Amino acid sequence: MSETEQELARDLGFLEAYTIGLGTMIGAGIFVLPSIAAEQAGPASMISFFGGGLVSLLAALSLSELATGMPKAGGSYYYVNRALGPFFGSIVGWGMWAGLTFASAFYMIGFGQYLLPGLGQYISFLAGWGQIGITAAALVMAAVLTAVNYYGVKETGALQNVIVLSLVGLILAFLALGIFGGPALGEFNPNGWPAVAATIGTVYVSFIGFEVIATSAEEIKNPSRNLPLAMIAAVVTPTLMYVGVMFVSTGTLSIDALSASQIPVADVATEFMGAIGGLVMIAGAVLATVSSANASILSAARVNFAMGRDRILVNWLNEVHERFRTPYRAITVTGIITLVLIAVGVGVGTLAEVASFMYLVTYALVHVAVVVLRRANPDAYDPSFKIPTGLYPLVPIVGFAACLAILVQMNVLVQVIGTGIVVFGVLWYFWFARDRAPSTSLVGEAIAPEPTAMADGEGRYRVVVPVANPETERDLLRMAAASAYAHEDQHAEVIAVNVIEVPRQTSLSQDLTFEEERVERQQELLESARDIATDLDIGLQTRAIVGRDAGSVILDVIEEENAEHVLLGWQGTRSRREHVLGSTIDPVIGRAPCDATLVKLGPEGGRGEGDVMVLAGEGPHAPVAARRAAEFVAASDEASLMLLNVQSSESESDEGLSPTERGEAVIAELVERAEIEYMSYDAKVAVAADTEQAIIEAVQEYDTVCVGATRSGTISQAVFGSLPEKIGAEVPQTVVMARGPEESPMSVREALMQRLEV
Amino acid sequence: MSRLLTKHLVVPVANEEDARETAQVLDCYEYGQITVVHVIEKGEGVPDKLPLEQAEQRASDAFGAFRGFIPEIETATVYRRDVVAAIIEVAVDVDASAIAFHPRGGNRFIKFISGDKTLKLITNVDRPVITLPEEAENE
Repeated sequence: MSETEQELARDLGFLEAYTIGLGTMIGAGIFVLPSIAAEQAGPASMISFFGGGLVSLLAALSLSELATGMPKAGGSYYYVNRALGPFFGSIVGWGMWAGLTFASAFYMIGFGQYLLPGLGQYISFLAGWGQIGITAAALVMAAVLTAVNYYGVKETGALQNVIVLSLVGLILAFLALGIFGGPALGEFNPNGWPAVAATIGTVYVSFIGFEVIATSAEEIKNPSRNLPLAMIAAVVTPTLMYVGVMFVSTGTLSIDALSASQIPVADVATEFMGAIGGLVMIAGAVLATVSSANASILSAARVNFAMGRDRILVNWLNEVHERFRTPYRAITVTGIITLVLIAVGVGVGTLAEVASFMYLVTYALVHVAVVVLRRANPDAYDPSFKIPTGLYPLVPIVGFAACLAILVQMNVLVQVIGTGIVVFGVLWYFWFARDRAPSTSLVGEAIAPEPTAMADGEGRYRVVVPVANPETERDLLRMAAASAYAHEDQHAEVIAVNVIEVPRQTSLSQDLTFEEERVERQQELLESARDIATDLDIGLQTRAIVGRDAGSVILDVIEEENAEHVLLGWQGTRSRREHVLGSTIDPVIGRAPCDATLVKLGPEGGRGEGDVMVLAGEGPHAPVAARRAAEFVAASDEASLMLLNVQSSESESDEGLSPTERGEAVIAELVERAEIEYMSYDAKVAVAADTEQAIIEAVQEYDTVCVGATRSGTISQAVFGSLPEKIGAEVPQTVVMARGPEESPMSVREALMQRLEV
Repeated sequence: MSRLLTKHLVVPVANEEDARETAQVLDCYEYGQITVVHVIEKGEGVPDKLPLEQAEQRASDAFGAFRGFIPEIETATVYRRDVVAAIIEVAVDVDASAIAFHPRGGNRFIKFISGDKTLKLITNVDRPVITLPEEAENE
């Protein structure tokens, strides 16, 4: 046996989570920003760092509650998208990505400054390159980091700890010696309080590091305890350090000398520790900026992944590299944008401020998300860490207001760029995401909370979809997904099945090349099912099966998966020989112990969408058909629901009701039986002499027709009953035939088993 | 006491395609029980390169692809930094008779930077290792 114990999926403890956060926080912020901050607000910039820390602490509290409630990859983006829907999800997703790339570019320029002018004081080869040299060094390092993440070179937690601990040690030494040197502050607040407030916006980039903890939430051990602790500690520690560094820096050097410095911390250290001190701080800064940028690139890829999962971004970006097992495309794109930002040369301050801006927008929405989720209280949200009772509405409200207040104070150029990125997110939503990303917004529930439908405890509502034809696959999966969405509170899942039928007389190895082709086709089919499922944002499981008989294989899958619903496609013609609808369809529809739906697809645009009509009859399965119709309408953007009842003009009513009144009563009863009162629908009663002909004529006006099985019993002549099948065969539109499980006949196997047992 | 070499095989798969190829080749031979292993590489104290959710999805995709050829399998997903050690550990845990794997190509440079897993697998192990041929044999 190996000595190390079996590792679990979650392998980040408190210390690891804390050092990851700290490693990103003690980055360029503390090494580069003192000069910019001192220039803007003088010694009072200490207050700015402190203010930034407070704002971050509020965000950390809200974020901790969200992250323990839903520890999923993607951090703030995921929570906002879940709570406020894809519109805000798109804004935050793009905002975070932009924020991280701007921050990476900022860190890298910080790196360049410390490397060239900094080390240049000691190594003549590095001196005298000027701004071009800084940019070149930043570009090279950014490219190296992108490559490191692309190739997935394994870093270890031990290395991370060594880097972070050395940085903490360095800064503590800096503080101790600096304070020992007796710093003397000049005029404390030369530019007034508005400048101090505006400086919070500038330095806020130093505080985005704790977000890394949230984006890795799913890897943290015992998250209810470790996550909030790590996040709060990762905010408090650097806040105190930043305040201290500003105190020492502004007290040691004059504001002019400080703001002119590209390597402020090293220059200050040289002042009281000599050349060695300066050199050590330069080494620390190089290490810190690299580790911050590295974490940001990784975080950005996580945000991409989460956006792809929610259909806000193309999943193409998230493909995993065959060999390196890294999301190489997301990393490359992030790297390229970072390189462009460095090359454009917008200035180190602007880069920092735009990153700050994007994160302030993000955290403002995170505070809103907490309130929405608490009020909506969905099943999936059960935070083990909650903002303490006395602080609850206060923290998110004050946090939200504080984020907005800082945003308003910021530099106009930054506001223009930041707003541009937000607008881009909005446009992106309307152009790309709106039609793909399912709305998950809980704002409605938050405003009017009502008890959500209960899951059956077992969870998982499973819909089995046999797929065989790439052309119809998409629509069938979409329609199955509609059914799954309606049971989303039960963690619904769609199971796509493809069966390769092998005749009894052949074995798999007999005609290998032929089989290979079929297997390849099967894999392609299921692969595209997976693509479609990601497009539709449904949980999908694929089953590729080689079997003797597709029908019985599908029945086995239904039984194995304990499925609630099976949905099959049908060509629309009745077979002439021993099978009614088809050799595969008959046994499945005839015996499946769950809801069964047969779909004959009509023309594009009207497949389970458009004007959906339910034939509202009194049959035992009409409510099932109505439920299916309601699911389609609920899952489609522009669909309407019509309940149609056709009454015979000839038959006499025993209660003296007119045919129309009778029809209306049937419709009302159906709505109640199907439990679709929540839907908005139209109802129509048609009166005709020949009802069957009237029905067939009437249904042609709609895009999708749902009809319940009219008969139950064994599959002798008809599976669904003659009328539904006639509609299916004769009507060119999409026809959905549905039956429920209750009256489904006992399967032959079950019957045999019972016989044998006696 | 001797026992059948293929009584219980532990079969590591790296991804969907690898699982497909491995299963296809393996299916040309006789085998007993099969446990398919997918190792999710962990960072040990640093965030993983792949989000956990994505890594687990890959594991289940790989198992699904394998089942396309050989439906009757046990599966194991393990989380370790050291892929080879994890595979060997699973083999010990399930008391496998052998480890069967499909070597994956790669040029010298990649082998150099990623560490050649094939070599490690056949040198650090306490039970037979079966290297499956590159392509399925035609009978």
